[in-house]
Amino acid sequence: MATTVEKLSIPAGTRKIRPASYTISLIIRYLLLISIGVVLFLPFILATLGSFKTDTEIIAYPPTFLPARWLVENWVNVWNTDLGQGGTFPRWLFNTAFLSVTIAILEVIFCSMAAYAFARMKFPGRDTIFNIMLATMMIPSAVAFIPAYVIMTKLHLINSNWSLILQFMVSQSGIFILTQFFRSIPKDLEEAAFIDGAGHAQIYRQVILPLARPALLTVLILQFQGMWNKFLEPLLYLNSPDKYVLNVALSIFQQQYKAQWNLTLVGAMVNAIPVLIIFFVFSRYFIQGVAYTGVKG
Amino acid sequence: MQKQEVRSPQSANLAAFWTFLIVVAVLLIVAILNAPTKGGPQVMESLSTYLNEVRKSALPFILVIGIGAVIIGILAGRVVRREWVDRKRRGDLLIGFLFLLPYLFVTLTFVLGVLLFALYISFTQYDIFTSPKWVGLQNYALAFRGLTDPVRKDFIQGLYNVFWYALIVVPVQTALAIALAVLLNAPMRFKQLFRTIFYAPSVTSSVVITLIFIWFYLKTGYLNFGIAKVLGVFGIPWENINWLGDPRGLFQLIAEPMGLRIPSEQWYLRGPSIAWMAIMFQNIFTTAPTFMIMFLAALQDVNPALYEAASIDGASGWQQFSKITLPLLRPIILLVTVLGTIGSLQVFDQVYLATQGGPLGTSQTPVYLIFSEALGKLGPIHMGYAAAMAFILAAIIFIITYFQRRLLERGTQSY
Repeated sequence: MATTVEKLSIPAGTRKIRPASYTISLIIRYLLLISIGVVLFLPFILATLGSFKTDTEIIAYPPTFLPARWLVENWVNVWNTDLGQGGTFPRWLFNTAFLSVTIAILEVIFCSMAAYAFARMKFPGRDTIFNIMLATMMIPSAVAFIPAYVIMTKLHLINSNWSLILQFMVSQSGIFILTQFFRSIPKDLEEAAFIDGAGHAQIYRQVILPLARPALLTVLILQFQGMWNKFLEPLLYLNSPDKYVLNVALSIFQQQYKAQWNLTLVGAMVNAIPVLIIFFVFSRYFIQGVAYTGVKG
Repeated sequence: MQKQEVRSPQSANLAAFWTFLIVVAVLLIVAILNAPTKGGPQVMESLSTYLNEVRKSALPFILVIGIGAVIIGILAGRVVRREWVDRKRRGDLLIGFLFLLPYLFVTLTFVLGVLLFALYISFTQYDIFTSPKWVGLQNYALAFRGLTDPVRKDFIQGLYNVFWYALIVVPVQTALAIALAVLLNAPMRFKQLFRTIFYAPSVTSSVVITLIFIWFYLKTGYLNFGIAKVLGVFGIPWENINWLGDPRGLFQLIAEPMGLRIPSEQWYLRGPSIAWMAIMFQNIFTTAPTFMIMFLAALQDVNPALYEAASIDGASGWQQFSKITLPLLRPIILLVTVLGTIGSLQVFDQVYLATQGGPLGTSQTPVYLIFSEALGKLGPIHMGYAAAMAFILAAIIFIITYFQRRLLERGTQSY
């Protein structure tokens, strides 16, 4: 979708002979774009450089740009952190990755099922449930987290990954994106399959899912990122050191290391890098996802 | 499975009856799970001790939900009886609900059930370890007591802070997002690359960004350094500020040089503090790129012929922007404003990590307060009070977003 529209949006003017003022405005525009890009990316650059500095250099004034001495040990030290009770850095990285991957995959499965029912089937109650979903999307999450916490204590699920998986294995935003996408798929293929005697389960698996691959990937990536970046819920439910996710561990780091900002920054960058890599590889899908929730909403 | 259509009303009645039973049972299980009982190890030891406790303290709650469950069960049963006679429609109904099952489970338990529970305990005194005690509207009154009693100002000050937050953050980030989107929408090379780099701060966790910004905001951090450098060019001296620890308010900073002192009892006249504005700045930094993507997607759907026609008619770049681009972006502006407001009124991560509500409560927020009261970080656990505050906040969010919608939608009609 995006590529065709981009071609269209090139105004006819570019094909004409360019006056000098055009070149100047072009240079200004690129300078502006580059400087905004630098400003927006600066926190990552400075934090990465900072993670190699010594304890004193990191809080010295005036601050330096490049480390006076590159301390690779910082990264090794953070990797070897041990808070006791199984709270080690590789463990937190694993917890975060495990939860993010599991929840993202479950989201894709369950959201696509619900979206298929909403977009492609006709049965009484469908529209009522869809409208209830749209209405509940407006409920601020602040209302839900206390009682959800109480339920988790009742089910003995505090400090269990299930507390997050059960709550986030399907989400309204995921269903919403996929419902919109499924509705945009032409019905011809499906009708042919129906005539051949295929049922809904078959059409969902063999017609809709393959056609919706880009949208499924979008949901997968958005939910992965969403879970990776969650803070309040893991902070509530997973509070023994061996169950921490990176975000929660980082908040503990910050209290633990106080002035040792170099170590905290290592933790921050280890947290940021996987998501940034995934983002750079799949940026198209991220952007599609955000655009889809927005524009078609 | 028989080939011919089942027309027997008896099997339809049976199906309707089972539907009724299943629906009522499921809703009752959700209700029991959400029953407002005391928690703690003795009660939670086994299912029977828990059910005992439910019977003892939460019977009215279960009864009310039970009546609702029976009504929904009857409705569902009638629908099933109607659909059952037609084989295709029966199949669609069964498969449809099968496909919706995971969603229904989550939404019933963690959205609707939870909502009823929260509503109930907001009228009680509840600390998990003892049975909830009905106190009527006391929790709601307590939240507003800060209006008269300065000792209890936390919630009111939290609301005051998030109002400022929304008032400053939402317009600034929306305007920035539009500007970035328009800039990126022009024909150019490396568009993908720029778009990706611009969006990067929005992708990373708010914890990471907040930690990096706390470090920037240190007294010896890059922000002070940068400001000192820039001001140094003009020969103006700059005294380093501990950004996140500075409670001085915006109006206070304006009034003080004019000889007006605002006493600390009149905190509400001081405006947003420096610490709070530092957090706002960081939030704008990470949210503007997200909204930029939404605007960019909308801009790409705009027909370029509109701009061509306008430039033939001699419209300037600014005129084209204000007369074509902005009106076409209105639906997205509405969406972004509403989303931005909902997010702003619920700030938590940044406060928890950077300031913990301080200095002098100038970065206190309702959600941070709800979190602290519910987990007993400020003394005993006050679940009921926390729930009441959550509902007040939810009501405020509803009202504000409703008026935003009215206002912006009315604007659309004039075009």
